[in-house]
Amino acid sequence: MNRYATRKIKDRIMVSLTYLALVIALIPLISILLETIMRGVPAINLQFISERIPPLGQPGGGIGPAIQGTLIVVGIASLIGVPIGVFSGISLAEYPETKLALAARFLNDVLTNMPSIVIGIFGWTMIVVVIGWSVIAGAVALAAMMIPIVTRTTEEAVKLVPASIREAAIALGVPRWKTTITVVLSSAKKGIITGILLSIARISGETAPLLLTILGSRFWFNGFTEPTAALPLAIFNFSKSPYSTIDWPRAWGASLILILMILGISVVVRYFTREKYV
Amino acid sequence: MSRLLDAGLEELTTILLMMGKTGEETVELSIEGFTNGLDVSDRVHSLSEILVSLSVDAEDKAFELIAKYQPVASDLRIIKSYIKIAHDLERYGRYAWDISFIHKRLAKSERCKDPWALIERMTEKVRDMVHDSVESLRNHDAELAKTLAVTENEVDQIYFKYLDLSAEASIPTRCLITNVLAVRYLERIADHAAYMGESIVYIVTGEKVVLR
Amino acid sequence: MYKYETSLSVETEKIPVSELMSYKIEIEGLNAWFGNNQVLKDINMKIRENAATAVIGPSGCGKTTLIRCLNRMHELVAGTRVSGKVLLDGEDIYGGNVDPVTVRRRIGMVFQKPNPFPMMSIYDNAVAGLKLNGINDKRKLDETVEKSLKSANLWDEVKDKLDKSGSSLSGGQQQRLCIARALAVEPEIILMDEPCSALDPIATAKIESLMRNLSEDYTVVIVTHNMQQAARVSDFTAFLYLGELIEYGSTEDIFENPKNELTEKYLTGKFG
Repeated sequence: MNRYATRKIKDRIMVSLTYLALVIALIPLISILLETIMRGVPAINLQFISERIPPLGQPGGGIGPAIQGTLIVVGIASLIGVPIGVFSGISLAEYPETKLALAARFLNDVLTNMPSIVIGIFGWTMIVVVIGWSVIAGAVALAAMMIPIVTRTTEEAVKLVPASIREAAIALGVPRWKTTITVVLSSAKKGIITGILLSIARISGETAPLLLTILGSRFWFNGFTEPTAALPLAIFNFSKSPYSTIDWPRAWGASLILILMILGISVVVRYFTREKYV
Repeated sequence: MSRLLDAGLEELTTILLMMGKTGEETVELSIEGFTNGLDVSDRVHSLSEILVSLSVDAEDKAFELIAKYQPVASDLRIIKSYIKIAHDLERYGRYAWDISFIHKRLAKSERCKDPWALIERMTEKVRDMVHDSVESLRNHDAELAKTLAVTENEVDQIYFKYLDLSAEASIPTRCLITNVLAVRYLERIADHAAYMGESIVYIVTGEKVVLR
Repeated sequence: MYKYETSLSVETEKIPVSELMSYKIEIEGLNAWFGNNQVLKDINMKIRENAATAVIGPSGCGKTTLIRCLNRMHELVAGTRVSGKVLLDGEDIYGGNVDPVTVRRRIGMVFQKPNPFPMMSIYDNAVAGLKLNGINDKRKLDETVEKSLKSANLWDEVKDKLDKSGSSLSGGQQQRLCIARALAVEPEIILMDEPCSALDPIATAKIESLMRNLSEDYTVVIVTHNMQQAARVSDFTAFLYLGELIEYGSTEDIFENPKNELTEKYLTGKFG
């Protein structure tokens, strides 16, 4: 009986340790959320989200342009990045053995881990030097970050579609390309959407590329070839400010808005891609 | 590689071989009693009953194997044929009993004279046919089985000749009628031996032949 | 002397499988490879129209490869090769300018594991073959749905829930849905690759009776490892072993009195 008792105790200890580890892992996440909510909520009001950005230290105003800027730049980046990423992912999944595919996959992996500041320099050299600080430069840089993620997740999602589905469509006399874009794609839909969402969430918060491409501004959107504001930049600037009592709450408010935005996009897209048939 | 079916087939074969041995014994005994004027009817009757019971067992076993194992090809032919052969062997017993019974009832088990000396020839052939049929069953010997056709023909000839001669006899005595009936039963035994032969050829070659 | 007769004329009137019936598919010198491994060796076979032909044999004998060569699906896997001819109504489907897509439209296939399209409703699954080929006329689609689901003996069970997901059905129903899907494009030939192996006995029985009905109007070729099923549903049976056609004849003959010793051994279970 002694061995049984010892085993029970060991069992309990292990289980408790795993729960403890889980709690410890959750602490940073929960504390960030709590801090952001606690400090951000007081700063948010209608004025905050609609008025233009005041100079540091000046009360009043809001971060309207930053919200607008983030939405525009991320939006354009998605318009560029999603189609390219999805099509590459599909090609890699459908024709995985070609030399081109092997090279593409390797480069893709490299790009995924590229430091974001390097991508920023890329955007600066390629576009800013040519047409100046601009929304386009920012969108291109963010798209460059988005493409590898979307490609990889799309490829995985398409690979997961069982061969039996493909075979069924082909046996019906549907040409291969059509099988891919109809049956395979709709089966892989959820996985692909998840990948896209992941990438949007990732790039919405990227600061380094934006520093070198859109520069930031206090004013509303002014044209695709002009600099614009963005939430990460606004957060960065406000938090550097010496006027802590006025600007730091703004930083928290902007952070909260950013988190809520990403959450919102996620919920909306999930709703539209839900299973229609039960 | 032994299959589950094999154990069952072995049991079925055992039953049939037992029936073969008993069938041969029964026919021998009945003919002996008839030829030598002895009353063997009780003994023949019990042997015949054994054959009836064994044939039921064989049929049950065969259907059990069919239901359980859904046999095909040679297995199916064997089982199908064994059902028929069990019936043929049971008939050996039945007709042997018929001979003893009519011998006792009509002729009071006396030794009846055979004016044309045909019955002895017939019983000899029938005994051979019974023996050969059981032997070909034991060894699945299609060649031996096919020879039964010849003997069956000869038995038929003797049968018809006996009938013709009896029809011309002026006075029907008890022995005459007993003999006619006995000859009839013997001819039936010969028929069943030929049926058995057909089944055995079917087992071996898959062909459905007629040996009569 | 004794005389031989091969079958008693007193027996029931068997419809003679005479030379009057025509051949839908004629396979001539068919060979197939997976890489360097030859899976089919010089197959020569003529498949009758509007009859059910079963292909049996131990695992790995090439029976699945054989039917996949009939609708040009074998070549979809990398490293495969096919040589020889497969004549469909007299024309070689492996001929120079034959588009495999059109071949597959004339030949339907049902797979071992039911594979309805997961994102589609029962209705959409049934007419997937039509919709994916650009036919969108609602009236025609409605008609086709009813007709093919009826032919597959599934209509009564699903007519009130056509908009439910195809995956919400039981295994047997899913397989019948796949059969309906194959029938909807009006093929001339239906290939079935062990269609009942993933199903329970009751679902299997339903599909077997469906197979018998279908074989009156279509040329059906069934691969099965269940010999009794082959005996139940088919008119002709082909026995394959290690890529070679060992014996091919009417199901009755093969199952009662096979001519080849290998066939006899396989049927009686004397080798795997």
